[in-house]
Amino acid sequence: MAKKKDAEKAAQNAEAKKEKNENAEDEEPNFDDPEGYVDDISDEELLSDLLKSKPRETDGVESVVVVDGIPLVGPERIEKLSSVISKIFSKFGTIVNEYYPKTDDGHTKGYIFLEYANPKHALEAVKMTNNYKLDKQHTFLVNLFTDFKKYEDISDNWEPPEPMPYKDQGNLHYYMLEPDSYDQYFIIMNNENTAQIWLNSAPEPTKLEERPRWSDSFVQWSPLGSYISTLHKKGVALWGGPEFSQIMRFSHNGVQFVDFSPCEKYLVTYSPQAENHSADQKKLIVWDIRTGLEKRTFTPDGPGIWPIFRWSHDDRYFARLGLDVLSVYETPSFGLLDKKSIKIPGIRDFSWSPTDNVLAYWVAEDKNVPARVTLLEIPSRNEIRAKNLFNVADCKIHWQKCGDYLCVNVNRYTKITKKDKEIKYTGMYYNFEIFHMREKQIPVDSVEIKETIHAFAWEPVGSKFAIIHGEAGNVNVSFYGVKTGQAPALLKRFEKKVCNSLHWAPSGQFIVLAGMRNMGGALEFVDTNDFVIMNSTEHYSASILSWDPTGRYVVTAVSYWKVKVDTGYWLWSFQGKILKRFNIESFCTLSWRPRLPTLLSAKQQSEIKKNLKKYSTQFESKDRMRMSKASKELIEKRSKLLKEFQEYRAKQIERWMEQKTQRMALRNNIDTDELDSDTKNVEEETVEFLVKQETTVIE
Amino acid sequence: MKPMILHGHERSITQIRYNREGDLLFSSSKDHTPNVWYSLNGERLGTFDGHQGAIWSIDVNWDTTRFMSGAADRCLRLWDCATGKEIGKINTDTSVRTCMFSYSANMAVYSTDTQLGHRCEMVIIDVRNADDSIENAPPIMKIPVSDSKITSLLWGPLDETVVTGHEKGEINQWDIRVGKKLNTVNDHKYAIADMQLNKDGTMFITASKDNTAKLFDIETLALLKCYKTERPVNSAAISPIYDHVVLGGGQEAMDVTTTSTRVGKFDSRFFHLIFEEEFGRVKGHFGPINSVAFHPDGKSYSSGGEDGYVRVHNFDPAYFDFNFDCQ
Repeated sequence: MAKKKDAEKAAQNAEAKKEKNENAEDEEPNFDDPEGYVDDISDEELLSDLLKSKPRETDGVESVVVVDGIPLVGPERIEKLSSVISKIFSKFGTIVNEYYPKTDDGHTKGYIFLEYANPKHALEAVKMTNNYKLDKQHTFLVNLFTDFKKYEDISDNWEPPEPMPYKDQGNLHYYMLEPDSYDQYFIIMNNENTAQIWLNSAPEPTKLEERPRWSDSFVQWSPLGSYISTLHKKGVALWGGPEFSQIMRFSHNGVQFVDFSPCEKYLVTYSPQAENHSADQKKLIVWDIRTGLEKRTFTPDGPGIWPIFRWSHDDRYFARLGLDVLSVYETPSFGLLDKKSIKIPGIRDFSWSPTDNVLAYWVAEDKNVPARVTLLEIPSRNEIRAKNLFNVADCKIHWQKCGDYLCVNVNRYTKITKKDKEIKYTGMYYNFEIFHMREKQIPVDSVEIKETIHAFAWEPVGSKFAIIHGEAGNVNVSFYGVKTGQAPALLKRFEKKVCNSLHWAPSGQFIVLAGMRNMGGALEFVDTNDFVIMNSTEHYSASILSWDPTGRYVVTAVSYWKVKVDTGYWLWSFQGKILKRFNIESFCTLSWRPRLPTLLSAKQQSEIKKNLKKYSTQFESKDRMRMSKASKELIEKRSKLLKEFQEYRAKQIERWMEQKTQRMALRNNIDTDELDSDTKNVEEETVEFLVKQETTVIE
Repeated sequence: MKPMILHGHERSITQIRYNREGDLLFSSSKDHTPNVWYSLNGERLGTFDGHQGAIWSIDVNWDTTRFMSGAADRCLRLWDCATGKEIGKINTDTSVRTCMFSYSANMAVYSTDTQLGHRCEMVIIDVRNADDSIENAPPIMKIPVSDSKITSLLWGPLDETVVTGHEKGEINQWDIRVGKKLNTVNDHKYAIADMQLNKDGTMFITASKDNTAKLFDIETLALLKCYKTERPVNSAAISPIYDHVVLGGGQEAMDVTTTSTRVGKFDSRFFHLIFEEEFGRVKGHFGPINSVAFHPDGKSYSSGGEDGYVRVHNFDPAYFDFNFDCQ
């Protein structure tokens, strides 16, 4: 149209000019082309610079998006539809034009065209709304209008891309095949941030790997132990296999936090300072570990507590806490479950069951509404159990590792005073609400303790829990047992203990009561079958205590991050017998490589336990052999050292004997080589001194 | 093993030495008075009165006729052992850090601190006719030491060499007949606080602030053995009868932030001379140990600490029965 108009206009102008020219013939020379002139210079040659900016028919096409998958509606509901559509799409920019193609009877055709003011907005809209689920039946398919042309122009000899050849990663769980079940652990030294990986072999641990500056910040094992992750300025790297070679990289600038999903399918990385680099930098990314692809990015609002996302045990769901809201996402779509966050006014904290898709959350007290602990089943969102609680200051949720029990540690008060927005609780007492997860309707029992609670810990396998309570100087440790249909029973109370943390063995029964850091590193190894203290000992100023994954060893460590002297780690047996002391300068931390869960059924396991005697003789003889081999090696080493040294000494003594006359000359020819070699000049002196004074009264 | 505790000093012990026979034990401290004790019963025999500063180093000659002390009052004094009377005095520019009689005791060596614009010097003197005139008698040799000051020294065999241990951990060997440096090794990272010879004088053990003690050959300065601990080692001695060494040390008094002796590790620690393995500890001092010495008969040893006590330990029978498995 525009072109045509121009042409007309030009014609009109020419006519007007003609008239004018006719009127004032003498005044102006004639610029008209002479008769028969053929214009052989094209516009391009004359005005190519201007023509560039000439408007084109397709201008603005980049700003158009095509939305497919729109509900088919009659004319009466078009208005409603368009309001919904514009609500969704106007988030990305102003919509300057919208077009709803209609059938003859006025029904929409299921696709629409939207034009944005800016191609950038269109691009954003495509990115964010493609595959947007409007409801169960309708999913938007959004494309740029220009893409149609792009895909039309695909050449005939286009070939599908070659599938990536399958890359065998080798057996990432090779460490599980270690015949003696020796466990691996890494240690970090402050010196160049060196990481070392060790195998806890008997009788001496073996160093497998040493890498200075492996990570820019921390190093961590994945939850099943397949990978070891290192953090770098540019992103995260995963390493694995017998050589600890690089398996995968995830590029994320300024990453500071890493978290694995429990089944190691996904990785979450978080770069809290991303804004400093550029505006559209991603802050929180969820990755697929096997493919290395980015699955979804998030912008966390507010300072979150790491991990921001908490995963269900099977990697199917992950959730995060918001203000009065709990957002549960599902995998692999990475969308919100049912597209809606769960509104829970006053939600304070939540925790997934370690074995089921159930989560527990608690809601704070609000005026007359009591605090409430709720168990929520996902994805059905059924509340399977709820308990109201009064006078609640704080709650802590503790799941037992097998998911059989849940304990909610409730801090309760008798008096509350509010002063200048500061809430002060007085007369504190403590309740432990025990939920029996495996019983019908989930009965709840309660244990009340009046004293301050310092620590709580479930036996990971079994039905006991331990509590440290009491005031400073009079700290007690109580053990309770939980039974079906019964209130928890006090099994044992140790009074006046020096401890502030509880460390159960991974398979239960054994526990270490530890007084870490300011308590001097007191350690007590307890067998909870008969509550015998197997050993009381200490590792002065220890701040780390960790069981190996099989429950055979305990490591205590003094970290350079806490104190600067006597850093290092000590290895103990589960009974508290010291096995080895590693005093390492600038030692920072230690972490055991996790093991995969056992493949044996409960029955098989109990079978083994029953026949332990049979196996133990095998292991004992193996241990004896190892020990005798080690002591043999030590003796060999010593006798070699001794032999070498004796050879050296023999030469020295020979030389020394040669010098005897010279030596004698220096000391007036008196032989002083031995204490008793000089007999001439010695005077024997008898010195008497008082040994004891005794008074005996004689009758 | 119940020790005898000798309480005659008011400040921290700096050095203890037995005489050749071992019947006497000499001790010096930061108070100004060296003491001499009967090693058998811990009775004090006498004192050497005269210094006006902390005593840094003492020595007694082989026939126990003369005693020598170097102190922070910028002088080296020679004493008559039997009477405790001063027989000679040499004034120096700075504190006397170390001193030792030669094997023949015809000569002695002492070294001074780098201080007040004066360099560290090592001086060899003739002490045969020690009397009032010694102060003005010219020394046999004066060797200036430029970079790192001498913190400990020893005479080599046959009065021909002197071995010096320095503040920065180096060990130098000097030919004192010509005043030339013969050899130098850098096996320690920090200051060498003490050096002691073995019984026949062919080897010596160093004690260093780098938490180790090391055994060297006196002729070649070859490193033979290394004994590792977690604390600065202030003194080390070699048993005259067994392949044992004893190390004394502990966290520096100025670095002790807690009163706990546990953290300080103020134990005497026994190592096997050849296997470098630790086999015993003796607790007792409540400050770092500054000096250890074996009795020449090897049946007892003493330690002097920052706490001002000298502890004389007679070994239990178990010590003499103990054997390392090596065949």
